[in-house]
Amino acid sequence: MIRVLLRVLGHEYAQPVRRTVALMTITAVVEGLSYALLVPVLRALFGNDPGDARPWLIAFGAAVAVYAVLRYVSDLSGFRSASTLLHGTYHRMGEHLARLPIGWYSEARVGQVSVLASRGVLQALGVIAHLLAPLISAAVTPLTVVVVMLAFSWQMGLAALIGVPVVAAIQVWTGRAMAAADAERAERDHEATGRVIEYLQAQPVLRAGGRTIERFGLLDDSLRGLQRASRRSTLSALPGVLGLTLTVQAMFTVLLVLGAHLALGGNIGAAEILAILVLAARCADPLLSLADMGGQLRGARSELTRLDALLRTQPLPEPGDPVQPRHHDLELESVTFRHGDRTVIDNVSLSVPEGQRLAVVGPSGAGKSTLLQLLARFYDVDAGAVRIGGVDVRAINTSELLAQFAIVFQDVYLFDGTIEENVRLGRPDADQAEVRAAVTAARLDEVIERLPGGWETNVGEGGALLSGGERQRVSIARALLKNAPIVLLDEVTSALDPVNEAAVHEGIERLMAGRTVVMVAHRMRTIRRADRIVFLDGGRVVEEGSHDELLHRGGRYADFWDVSLTPAGSE
Amino acid sequence: MTTADLAEAREAPPQRPADGDSAAGQSLSRLLRPYLGRFAAVVILQIIGAVAGLAPLLAVVELGRTLLSPGPIDHDHVWLVVGAGAAGLFAQLLFTGASSGVGHLLDDQVQLSFRRQLAARLGRVPIGWFSRRQTGELAKVVGEDVSAVHPFIAHTPGELISAFVVPLVSLIYLFTIDWRLTLITLIPVALAVALVPLMMTPTRLREQKEFDAAMGRIASSVVEFVQGIAVVKAFGGGERAHRRFLTAVDDFVGSFYQMVRGLAGIAAGMQVALSPPFVLLAVLIGGTTLITSGGMAPADLLPFLVLGLALTAPVAALGHGFDDMQAARRAVGRIRDVLEVPSLPEPAHPVAPQGHRVELREVRFGYEDDHEVLRGIDLVLEPGTVTAIVGPSGSGKSTLVQLLPRFFDPTHGSVLLGGVDLRELGSRELYRRVSFVFQDVRLLRASVADNIALAVPHADLDEVVRAARLANVHDRILELPDGYDTVLGEDVGLSGGEAQRISIARALLAGAPVLVLDEATAFADPQTEQAVRRALATLEGDRTILVIAHRLETIADADTVVVLENGSIVERGRPAELLAQDGRFAAFWRSQRTAIADEIEAHGGVLQGDEPQ
Repeated sequence: MIRVLLRVLGHEYAQPVRRTVALMTITAVVEGLSYALLVPVLRALFGNDPGDARPWLIAFGAAVAVYAVLRYVSDLSGFRSASTLLHGTYHRMGEHLARLPIGWYSEARVGQVSVLASRGVLQALGVIAHLLAPLISAAVTPLTVVVVMLAFSWQMGLAALIGVPVVAAIQVWTGRAMAAADAERAERDHEATGRVIEYLQAQPVLRAGGRTIERFGLLDDSLRGLQRASRRSTLSALPGVLGLTLTVQAMFTVLLVLGAHLALGGNIGAAEILAILVLAARCADPLLSLADMGGQLRGARSELTRLDALLRTQPLPEPGDPVQPRHHDLELESVTFRHGDRTVIDNVSLSVPEGQRLAVVGPSGAGKSTLLQLLARFYDVDAGAVRIGGVDVRAINTSELLAQFAIVFQDVYLFDGTIEENVRLGRPDADQAEVRAAVTAARLDEVIERLPGGWETNVGEGGALLSGGERQRVSIARALLKNAPIVLLDEVTSALDPVNEAAVHEGIERLMAGRTVVMVAHRMRTIRRADRIVFLDGGRVVEEGSHDELLHRGGRYADFWDVSLTPAGSE
Repeated sequence: MTTADLAEAREAPPQRPADGDSAAGQSLSRLLRPYLGRFAAVVILQIIGAVAGLAPLLAVVELGRTLLSPGPIDHDHVWLVVGAGAAGLFAQLLFTGASSGVGHLLDDQVQLSFRRQLAARLGRVPIGWFSRRQTGELAKVVGEDVSAVHPFIAHTPGELISAFVVPLVSLIYLFTIDWRLTLITLIPVALAVALVPLMMTPTRLREQKEFDAAMGRIASSVVEFVQGIAVVKAFGGGERAHRRFLTAVDDFVGSFYQMVRGLAGIAAGMQVALSPPFVLLAVLIGGTTLITSGGMAPADLLPFLVLGLALTAPVAALGHGFDDMQAARRAVGRIRDVLEVPSLPEPAHPVAPQGHRVELREVRFGYEDDHEVLRGIDLVLEPGTVTAIVGPSGSGKSTLVQLLPRFFDPTHGSVLLGGVDLRELGSRELYRRVSFVFQDVRLLRASVADNIALAVPHADLDEVVRAARLANVHDRILELPDGYDTVLGEDVGLSGGEAQRISIARALLAGAPVLVLDEATAFADPQTEQAVRRALATLEGDRTILVIAHRLETIADADTVVVLENGSIVERGRPAELLAQDGRFAAFWRSQRTAIADEIEAHGGVLQGDEPQ
């Protein structure tokens, strides 16, 4: 656990945490040792002259003072470490996220990382910050007390010592047993969440079918499944918790019986026995709390493990000796790309001369978008090479490479700011006139007029105030402003209303003018603007040529369009 | 590290708004009422267990008294005491174990019941209500928030009782032995409590508030950073976004540090005051003084040594688990909010509609009070006709069609089906008569056949296949690994267009006499477009069809065209009449014609190389 934490923190930030852990351990040891002085104090108090207790009491007072100072210092150090933890974790995470390739950020990943980074990290750090001191103290102080016991009565010490491995074994065993149950529960949880989302999103359809909760069995099954998994996880935790309690209590009982036996036999003084029993009672609660803390730490650990896995994801390697491309022609040479064990792009070779337009057409899942992403090195290819101006993209500095591209994707991310600010993202140092020009060229000025606050309106997180077509126009304006030599365009599949359709089309026309373009296109009118067309299916280029050539050939491409233009039934 | 103590100070009572707390408490108790019996059992078992847990400690005390008493030791008594102590331990194990077990099982049931109640409520709220909510947020209420109630039910009774009942019993017992030493034993607690006001100074409180705010900010800037980074990087702004994120982190850590700097010393001081060695020291100093002055029997010191530590527990426990409790309280608030959403009112005496003519009478509607989206719509949709709505985006087309399946009720006027106000119609009856294909297609993680037969659960496969064929998706379904039995989502995903065709098949199979269709869905791909056209062609007859039209063919074939602008109908009539009028519709028609010119050319196979750029 600590190891994962330190790895997550990295070398630089781990030091203060390590120091804090050491301080806390020393504090717990000092606490345990200070209890040794209880024996002479009690011996004197229970003896004939209670006044003899005073020097020992002063010694105990001194020990407590040392403990108090240590405790104070380690607590303060703990606070400082908490800041370090926060600072370190977020900085490491931020740096790493900034270096990961764009291709890594799939929609699902973004969701997971958002949750991990906002809630997960705070939760994990919170648990660690809350539990580190109690945990160390709960484990180390009883151990020290056992040593103290050994010093005063080897029999009692030995009896306590036997309990140590049992407690440890139960902790480990519970941890393992729980891990399986927790995993199952997490899976059911995930399943149920999926069903709930589905249930919510499909409400209109479900109601149309009269499928309310009583009749939508899928949801209820998954909710019940969650309950059963949760019960199983509770039941699997029970033996561990009860076992720990039983062990701790058995140890105490053994000490009680043994103490009584020894005392009755006169082998040991009453003061020693009573001091040991007082200490044993003192140790019981922290030991019992170990089970509870273990559960919480497991939760934190799974967050940390996720964070660790994130930090271990390798960013794409940067070239040691970057080359600058001089031309803007594009080339894919025998490119193969796999995603998991699925071959998405299968030995594709094609080239786009500078200033020409290539349209990529094909059924969904053919690998069209991936092809675009490989050009801008969102991923590295598994075989073959992607070249710009004859230079392998892997030999070009990442920011230099991205500067070559203006990219218009289907999903347009808008941050909560004005349209102008969102457009400016295309080129942050652009002056006002340039931004306005791009806005006008993408016909965004019409949109701005419609907004209640005009230019000053915030579009809301994710661009909530804008329709799909309007967001597309923002994306085009960004690309126009960026004014990069190569345009990558992933045309929206969904329908736009006529006004937006026209505006987007116009914007795209302006964007493509005079640039090297690769576009994934769905609309005939866009495709017909391309110089060449490749028809992609199953990651392979099936046909290639101009629109007219391909139509005349009567192959896959012609079939594809034919469907759309077959008159329907009665027409 | 002891941020627990910071949390404790931060969340201490004076800061909490009392009303919110009690309201949440009330709603919780209302929600929990059916479980009160078992909840009481959890608490009672826990109390018995906790008090039984004092037995071994008292056994130590009694053992001490016996051993220290002058004269020969009564062996039998010693073993009796030891036996009683062991029995107490066993009872504690049994009762707390039972309490915890019952508590957790109860918790599972409560959670299931909460989730079912939430789902049931969400299944009855107006559909339109969802459009104002994030699905993720709602799913979080049903999932995480219900889970967050866990400590309330499964842990709190145990923790509260260990924290308060045990110390209380101990305190009373100690008072009966020696009130002076009891007071001395309480000194550390008093010291710790005395430090609390120092944590409550205006400066401290302000720092804590700033920290809370910073915590909210960091969470949202993390999300923004992560969600935006791909785009930002693509535009070469990765460095700047990163810097902005780091600034947010530094602000957050800064405000944390600010808060900690003020609190750390005091909190650490409290920890020292409450620590076992310090308490023992106080007891021993007090005890020694009393014993040497002859005011107390040495054996009476033992109960203080053994039980004294328990007195600090309430103060220490305040912080422990308090965060969870706060979170649970907030979660209950959110659960209650959802459960209190008024459901779409069902008529007490549903009226059966006569026929399926649809009438909108002076319909006005706005999502917000001050902004009307529909401003007085009068419209009659006759059975056996197709009505096409056209108009610019933002004109209210989508809102208008959503009134038919009663996603919303109009704020003024009424929507009638077969002469009956939709509000007088039972919702089952309504959905049996009105089906719709909207842009937002939802497929369930169930077999393809189940997805198509959603509205007609007992449809046989032949009917399903017929609908799929009509919707142009039959061939694609046969390509799936298990054909119609393929479970969507798990085994295989469908493209957007394919999903839309499934949803068309669904509407075709439902065969409701009124069909509402958003044609925008049809543009996803050529196959889907064809599916919609074929569906419309097949469906005519006696059906009432309302379609948001985008394609000229659809518009031309419609019986009536309604032009919507800014929430009002500006033109209506047969397409040819409207074209002749040369108004809005004619202008729209012309703009569309140029847009689709390419397609028509391609269709005719007219190949023009000199296309204007």
